[in-house]
Amino acid sequence: MNLKKKKILVTGGAGFLGQHVVRRLLEKGIKEQNILVPRIENYDLRLIENCEKVVKGQNLVIHLAGLTGGIEYHKQNPATIFYDNLMMGIQLMEAARKAEVEKFITIGSATEYPENAPLPFRESDLWRGFPEPIHAPYTVAKKMLLVQAQAYRKQYDFNAIHLLMTNMYGPGEKLDSSFVIPSLIRRIWQAEKENQNFIEIWGTGKPTRDFLYVGDAAEGIIKAAESYNKPEPVNIGSGWEISIKELTGIIVRLMNFKGEVRFDETKPDGQMRRMMDTTRAEQEFDFKASTDFEVGLKKAIGWYIPKIEKLFQK
Amino acid sequence: MDLKDKKILITGGGGFLGSHVIQKLLEKGVPQENIFVPRQSEYDLRKLEDCKKAVSNQQIVIHLAAKVGGIGFNQEKPGELFYDNMVMGAQMIEAAYRAGVQKFVALGTVCAYPKFTSTPFKEENLWNDYPEETNAHYGLAKKALLIQAQAYRSQYGFNVIFLLPVNLYGSGDSFDPTRSHVIPALIKKVADAIKNKEDYINVWGTGQATREFLYAPDAAEGIVLATEKYDKSDPVNLGSGQEISIKNLIALICRLMGFKGEIRWDISKPDGQPRRMLDTSRAEQEFDFKAKTSFVEGLKKTIKWYLQNQEESSG
Repeated sequence: MNLKKKKILVTGGAGFLGQHVVRRLLEKGIKEQNILVPRIENYDLRLIENCEKVVKGQNLVIHLAGLTGGIEYHKQNPATIFYDNLMMGIQLMEAARKAEVEKFITIGSATEYPENAPLPFRESDLWRGFPEPIHAPYTVAKKMLLVQAQAYRKQYDFNAIHLLMTNMYGPGEKLDSSFVIPSLIRRIWQAEKENQNFIEIWGTGKPTRDFLYVGDAAEGIIKAAESYNKPEPVNIGSGWEISIKELTGIIVRLMNFKGEVRFDETKPDGQMRRMMDTTRAEQEFDFKASTDFEVGLKKAIGWYIPKIEKLFQK
Repeated sequence: MDLKDKKILITGGGGFLGSHVIQKLLEKGVPQENIFVPRQSEYDLRKLEDCKKAVSNQQIVIHLAAKVGGIGFNQEKPGELFYDNMVMGAQMIEAAYRAGVQKFVALGTVCAYPKFTSTPFKEENLWNDYPEETNAHYGLAKKALLIQAQAYRSQYGFNVIFLLPVNLYGSGDSFDPTRSHVIPALIKKVADAIKNKEDYINVWGTGQATREFLYAPDAAEGIVLATEKYDKSDPVNLGSGQEISIKNLIALICRLMGFKGEIRWDISKPDGQPRRMLDTSRAEQEFDFKAKTSFVEGLKKTIKWYLQNQEESSG
C-alpha cells in the first residue's frame, strides 16, 4: 500500500507512540490534511457513533488509542481498562469495515504473551498460556482485536493486522511514567538535585529486558502499513536485550552521575528475562530497529530533563 | 440468593436453552411476571442503549443470548460470530453493573477450551492453548467475558459468575440444517432418509471425534442452581460427565429411530475438535449440580419432540 495519497486515521495520535507515528508519516511526505488525529474531548471512541464518524472517508486506520498505566493503575481499574480498550477497538474495526476502510492496524503489546512463554517470545506461542494476571484485562482486550482481525479477514476479506510492541522509550513519554527507563532518569535527576550520593534500585539488577526506541517503533508500524497483509500477528522489537544493571550504568554515565548505584536484593526482580523474537518482522516487511541504544537514550534524556526541571520549578 | 421475589432478565429467553431456564424458574416458584425476556424484534443487544433499557430495574441478569451455529456456520461467519457475541456480552455486563443489578450470570462455551486439552477438561486449563480453529473466534469472544467478569468483581465488587456448558441437546433445539449442531442434524438426516426411503445417510468427518452432551433441561437446572448458590470468580463447567464418539452416537440414534441403512462418512469434511469432555466436579462441589437425565432417555425425548414438530423446527 502506497501511503502517499491515502487518508489516514491515527487514534491515540497525540500519545507517546502516536506522535512519533504522525511525525514519521509527515517525513514520508504524507500531507498533514490527510492525517486525522481524533481528540478524546471530541470523540469518545467507546461509543459506536463516534467510531462511525472518525472512520468515514478514511483509507487506513492505525488504532493506537488505549487506556493503560502503571501496575497500581492496572490493579485498581481492571474493569475500566478491559471495557474501554475492548469497546474502542472492536467498534472501531466494525465501523471501519462497514465504511470500507482498506486497511486497519491494531496494536498490542508484549504483555499479551503468556507469563511463562519461552524466550525469546515467538508469535506462535502467543496463545500458549495465561498472561501475567495483573495485565490480563488489558491484554485480553487487546488480544481480542487480533481475533477480530483474523475473523474479519476470513469472513469479509478485510485487511486487518495485529502488531505486538515491546517496551518503548524515547522523547514524548508521560513524565510520571513508571516504566524502567523514565523512572531511572527521574531518580538520577532527583538524586543530583538533592545532593544524594547514591540511588537505590530494586532487585539484583540481573533481569534483562529489550527496549525499542519509539521512533523505530513508529517506523515498524508504517512499514507494516505499507507492506504486511497477513492474518498472523507480528512482533515489533529491538532484537537485543540488556540487564537492568548495564542499563543503569549507561544512564548514570550519560547523565554524568557520580554517586553509587545500590541494588536492594531483598526486593523482587520480577520476570528474569523478557525479549521478543523479531525474525518475522524482518522477513515479512524488512523491519529492523536501527537506532543505537546510546543515541536513543541521549534523546530520551535530552527531552526528559528540561520537562521535569520545568515541572519542578512550578 | 432466593430467586422467588427477584426480577430476572433472561436474554435469549426465547431460545432453545432460554425456554428451558424459564421453565425451571417457574417450577421453582418464580412468578411469571418477574421474568423478563427481551424480544429480538424490540431489543438489539448489540446496541448499548437497548442493553440499558433491558437491564433497567432488574435484579438478576442471565445472559443467554448468543449467535451460534454448527461447524459450517462457524466457518462462514467468524466475523459476525465474534463481533455480535463480544459486543452483546461486554455491553450487557457494563449496563447491568451501571444499573445496580445484583447478580449477572454469563455463559461461556466448551468451544473456549484449547483444541488439545487432556480430558476431562478442567477449568484451570482454559487458557493453555488456542481453541479448535473452526470455532475459535466464537470461543474466544465468550472467554473474554470471563476476564470481564473477574475484572468487574475485582474493581466494583459486582457479582458476575461464568459458566461453561458443554454441547446441549433436547426439545426446542434448532433443526435448521444451516446452523444446527450434531444431534439435531443427525436426527433430521435419519428422519429424512426414512421418509424418502433411502438406504444410506451421509455424515461429515470420520466419526472418531468424541463429544459430551448435556440435556438442555439439566443445563437449565445447573444455571438456576448457580444463580442461587454460586458467587465466586472462578469459571465452572456444566456437563454430564459422559463422552461418546460420533460413530457410537449415530449408531444409537439409528437404533432409537429404527433406521437400518448405511452410514457413509465424508472424510473430506472436518471433525472439529478431536475430543470433548468436561470435568464436572467443581459444579457438584460448589452448588451441588449433577446432570440427572440419561443419554438414551434424553435422546428419546428429543427424537419424539422432533418428529412431532418437524415442520416448524427445520427453520
